[in-house]
Amino acid sequence: MDPLILSRIQFGANISFHILFPTITIALGWVLLFFKLRYNATGDTAWMRAYFTWVKVFALSFALGVVTGVTMSFQFGTNWPGYMETVGNIAGPLLAYEILTAFFLEAAFLGIMLFGFRRVPNRIHTLATVLVAGGTTVSAFWIIALNSWMQTPAGFEMRDGVAHAVDWWAIVFNPSMPYRLTHMLIASGLTVSFLIAGFSALRYLAGDRSDSMWKALRTGVFLAAVLIPVQIFVGDQHGLNTLEHQPAKVAAMEANWHTGSNIPLVLFAIPDEKAKENRFEITVPNGASLILTHSIDGVVPGLDQFEGNHPPVFPVFWGFRIMVGTGLLMLAVSWSAAYFLRRRRSLPKPLALLMVPMALSGWVATLAGWYTTEIGRQPWLVSGILKTADAVGPVAGSHVALTLAVYLILYAALLVTYLGVLVHLALKAAKDGDTSPLPGVLNAPLSQPAAGE
Amino acid sequence: MTFDWPTLLPLIFAGLMGLAILIYVVLDGFDLGIGILFNFADDAEKDTMIAAIGPFWDANETWLVLAVGLLLVAFPLAHGVILTALYLPTFLLLVGLILRGVAFDFRAKVPAGRKHRWNRIFFAGSLIASLAQGYMLGVYVLGLETGLAAMAFGALVALCLAASYAAMGAAWLIYKTEGALQKKAVRWLRSTLVLTVLGMAAISLATPFASTRIFDKWFVWPQMLYLSPLPILSALLFIWLWRQTFHLPKENDRHSIIPFLTLAAIFALGFAGLAWSFYPFVVPDQLTIWQAAAAPESLAIILVGTVFVLPIIIAYSFYSYRVFGGKAGDLTYD
Repeated sequence: MDPLILSRIQFGANISFHILFPTITIALGWVLLFFKLRYNATGDTAWMRAYFTWVKVFALSFALGVVTGVTMSFQFGTNWPGYMETVGNIAGPLLAYEILTAFFLEAAFLGIMLFGFRRVPNRIHTLATVLVAGGTTVSAFWIIALNSWMQTPAGFEMRDGVAHAVDWWAIVFNPSMPYRLTHMLIASGLTVSFLIAGFSALRYLAGDRSDSMWKALRTGVFLAAVLIPVQIFVGDQHGLNTLEHQPAKVAAMEANWHTGSNIPLVLFAIPDEKAKENRFEITVPNGASLILTHSIDGVVPGLDQFEGNHPPVFPVFWGFRIMVGTGLLMLAVSWSAAYFLRRRRSLPKPLALLMVPMALSGWVATLAGWYTTEIGRQPWLVSGILKTADAVGPVAGSHVALTLAVYLILYAALLVTYLGVLVHLALKAAKDGDTSPLPGVLNAPLSQPAAGE
Repeated sequence: MTFDWPTLLPLIFAGLMGLAILIYVVLDGFDLGIGILFNFADDAEKDTMIAAIGPFWDANETWLVLAVGLLLVAFPLAHGVILTALYLPTFLLLVGLILRGVAFDFRAKVPAGRKHRWNRIFFAGSLIASLAQGYMLGVYVLGLETGLAAMAFGALVALCLAASYAAMGAAWLIYKTEGALQKKAVRWLRSTLVLTVLGMAAISLATPFASTRIFDKWFVWPQMLYLSPLPILSALLFIWLWRQTFHLPKENDRHSIIPFLTLAAIFALGFAGLAWSFYPFVVPDQLTIWQAAAAPESLAIILVGTVFVLPIIIAYSFYSYRVFGGKAGDLTYD
């Protein structure tokens, strides 16, 4: 097979697997800080129990994020040497600042956050939690700045085919960056809130009615219920920004083949790239014009404007629909759960059963969203500057295929183990309930199995 | 050579990258080494060994990200050339690092019956990562050559680097543990030290003969005189450390960190020798640091950040090591 498509699949597989874990750690750090601050304020040990349960998930997710992140730092060179040769002057400093200002901060204080509760004063432990949470967010800031710059480059000039920085402010805060960053940070918040809600729902179903379970459950459900409408608004703004700067992507997202006014919103279709039309289309009249221009006879760009230079339509169209569909499901589930928790102070069993698989809904929506925006940038690696095909390395297709196969097997095994450990931790927490050892009394070495049974 | 920014910046970044690699090799060296020694310990000892590195390994591995990151951002051309040439060993290194990194957490969180599996994976991952690093170093030393001789040399360096990481691991255990495990670590140190000496001697001898350019850098007067402290000091430190292994642990466990620091010093000396051999090339005999460097204005903006942030990083890294100073054994999640 062609090394280009294999390299793309490999990079896609690596970065997809990687993004799962930062998506959790970015927001989970702040949720842990919330638990810690509640404990500091109330002295209620249930908050600290919630902290200890979730700090384990944090540690696990962080470890997976680190090791897959190390892979990413090598893959730029192994698979896409043309990328750094062309835009290294821009990408380099952004990545360097990510490592310098975020990675070390997270890694150094993670040790204190995980194992330092009895070794340092409580204030330092809280500070370590702040620094780790801040580190994950700063890391997101830099990498989103770089990704957004690849989508909507600004603040540079080309000299002899190499990008040179002219205005760093314009590079970092390029046109799509504030939208993408906000959208991603809230996505992380939603992923974590549904993870916590689903994990706690599993404890609830296992008969756990402990204080720490209720506290985590409420935190997850209410956070999700608050964030999801905000996310829908931010997502809409992000879409309008994309329409302005990357119209070809929007045309592919809407599977709109012809520029025009009164464009319908396509709810379902099988886009056919050869015939340049949609099969089995179900549409809402004037819908796309209304959403994208906020007027029913607004003009929406079609793929015919970007002949031969637009992204593949099928994955972008469906990626977008999966993301939006998951988002609407999240809205329904989180609002009904919030209703029952506030008004009835209980959780109906069918809803709890639905919340358990919804624990992973954030992952689905995040991945679908990233596929939409990244595939939507094709055929460009850096919009208007570098085509993906021109950045691929000289490595033989067979090598890429072999390593890809091993990565896929490895990632599948790790994902199964990770989810297995989460379920195991939830059931164990459900069994222990509020009888788990109190903070500061526990003396079981980390290296002991978490469960002796 | 004129001392303007376009000349100086690549030089400074080569120095920073060298520093990051050296810190990485010393720090991750000991935790990879403990992974290699893992298979020779019993279950209780394994828990103590993990406790001796648990709070540190994330940060240790970050130095690799910094080193590769500096290669990527400061010498983008070299990053591409080196990593595409070392595609498969890089892949093995990554698989090794992934496996051992997740094993840290999984072994402590899976149901008890599956802990052994993750212990074995921790050992295997650490060994694979160390061997891959050694192999990459060997092939790099020979100028990214392909061919049977280069592969054999790579394999030799792989074994020796794994042995020297194990020696680092043993020295760290002498510092962090007590009792029977500490005595065991002393024996581990002694046996791995032999392989380390053989490895460093082999690399030191092979390098000049593999490349006439490197030969000319070492064996001309008066450079020979200036460079002579490197091998002589290394040899003295080796002999001293070897003799020490018969008297460890000392009364009241005094100076238990000395073996580790001695080994770190030997690593630094060996590293300085390598750096001298390669200078000014970042890809041996192909690209100099100036040919491979990114644009000066981009390097300058990274340097500004580095000058401010690196001292802070080093300061809080020290703080973190201090918080978890003393003997390991009671690492808990609270």
